[in-house]
Amino acid sequence: MKYLMLIYGNQEKWASVPADQWPEAIARQDAFNRKYRETGELIGAYGLADEIQARLIRRENGLPAVTDGPYLETKEYIASFYLLDCESEERAHQIAADMPFADVDPVEIWPILHEAKPDL
Amino acid sequence: MTTNRGDVEGLLRVLAPQVLTALVRRNGQFHLCEDATQEALLAAAQQWPSGGLPDNPRGWLITVASRRLTDQVRSEQSRRAREEQAAVATPPSELLGPPADAEHAERDDSLALLFGCCHPDLSSPSQIALTLRAVGGLSTAQIAAAFGVPEATMAQRISRAKQTIAGAGFDFSLPSGAERTERLRAVLHVLYLVFNEGYTASEGDTLTVPALSQEAIRLTRWLHRLLPDDGEVAGLLALMLLTDARRPARTRPDGSLVPLAEQDRSRWDQAKIAEGVALVTRALPSGEVGPYQLQAAIAAVHDEATTMADTDWPQILGLYDLLELAAPNPFTALNRAVAVAMVRGPAAGLEIIAALEADKRMARHHRLIAARAYLRELAGDTAAAAADYLDAARRATSLPERRYLALQASRLAPSG
Repeated sequence: MKYLMLIYGNQEKWASVPADQWPEAIARQDAFNRKYRETGELIGAYGLADEIQARLIRRENGLPAVTDGPYLETKEYIASFYLLDCESEERAHQIAADMPFADVDPVEIWPILHEAKPDL
Repeated sequence: MTTNRGDVEGLLRVLAPQVLTALVRRNGQFHLCEDATQEALLAAAQQWPSGGLPDNPRGWLITVASRRLTDQVRSEQSRRAREEQAAVATPPSELLGPPADAEHAERDDSLALLFGCCHPDLSSPSQIALTLRAVGGLSTAQIAAAFGVPEATMAQRISRAKQTIAGAGFDFSLPSGAERTERLRAVLHVLYLVFNEGYTASEGDTLTVPALSQEAIRLTRWLHRLLPDDGEVAGLLALMLLTDARRPARTRPDGSLVPLAEQDRSRWDQAKIAEGVALVTRALPSGEVGPYQLQAAIAAVHDEATTMADTDWPQILGLYDLLELAAPNPFTALNRAVAVAMVRGPAAGLEIIAALEADKRMARHHRLIAARAYLRELAGDTAAAAADYLDAARRATSLPERRYLALQASRLAPSG
């Protein structure tokens, strides 16, 4: 079963982490990623750019029309997402609880209901 | 001379576990032998369709795999310290003639290989992946495609599984007594999961995305040939055939689900039904009756009914009573509740479901809520049934199920 795992944050929160603690935090996250890639349960781990780099796209007259935004009303937004494929929901919860910051901030787990077929 | 690609593929799948067991038997080192076997299968898949089959395909594969293994061990050695001893180097000629007691030994080796792939230290996704590769002869790319994960992810899963097997000290000794029963149960569960994975997914292109339920039937058939007297192996094979027989009627061309009650039974595969019925009829009286035989017997009663109304529900209920004794499980209890409703009326079924709701996880499960919706509709409580269908749709774990349940909700919703 596949799951989307999400962590949230914002600039203010990340700026509050002292610079000398970043290398260790990154190393812990890298170790987490390596661990679950090796078990064959982590399909991908992706970090997102800052919200000011996000854009809203519409199609107008067949062409992309790009505007700034989204203007988020939430205080925190998606910082990174992980694609898991594991045995059960319990296992997905276990992996989420193993995330380096899961003792500080919650990690969201969303079951994936449907996946477009790659061969269609 | 050229040979059909599909025929070559089929032959390679049959030979894969034989080649692997021959290699491991002689050299140990399961993980290296598995890689070497895969390389030999790949070489054959490339060469045989255009060049024709060799006179002794099995011997050809063992020879090629042995050479690859020797190469691997040599390069491994040059990488490691020089003092490590050569473990391998059986002359390929030695591998061509099967030993005198070949048939018996081969049967036990094949079983040991299957038991090893379903080792209890492995998670079920790993057991499945390793079984499909080492016993089923599928490539990592094919298994990855079948499960919709990148090849690299599947390769990691298989590699980790092989390390675990190697760590547990893979050998060809078969467990006996209670442990054997336990391990065989794990093997049957893996084959059952492979079948279900293929049954719930739609069929893909057989060469790139293998039809998993066909593969599960093929492997279970093979296991049944190895263990013809095991009632549960026969029961599982029967269950797969009797379930797969309904496949042509189970989905509409747009992929939406057709429930059992609405299926066009003339489209059921009668050859599969006959084979499944024969298997379960032979297995049931001949020993201890296990859960797969009982589930197959239930499937057989459904398959033999020409309409939903003709279904012998009292017999199905009797079989569910036995199944609940043999393998108590909340989903069996849920299915039994539906059978009770069909025999004694919806109120009796709803009473059982109400008792199952004491378990919080069951109370929120879409299958319980969907069954309750069905029985509430039968009981004439349309509003409650519609609300249940909607709730079940929100909790469904696959898109076709969600669509089906949402459709039922809108069918019952008051119009306007």
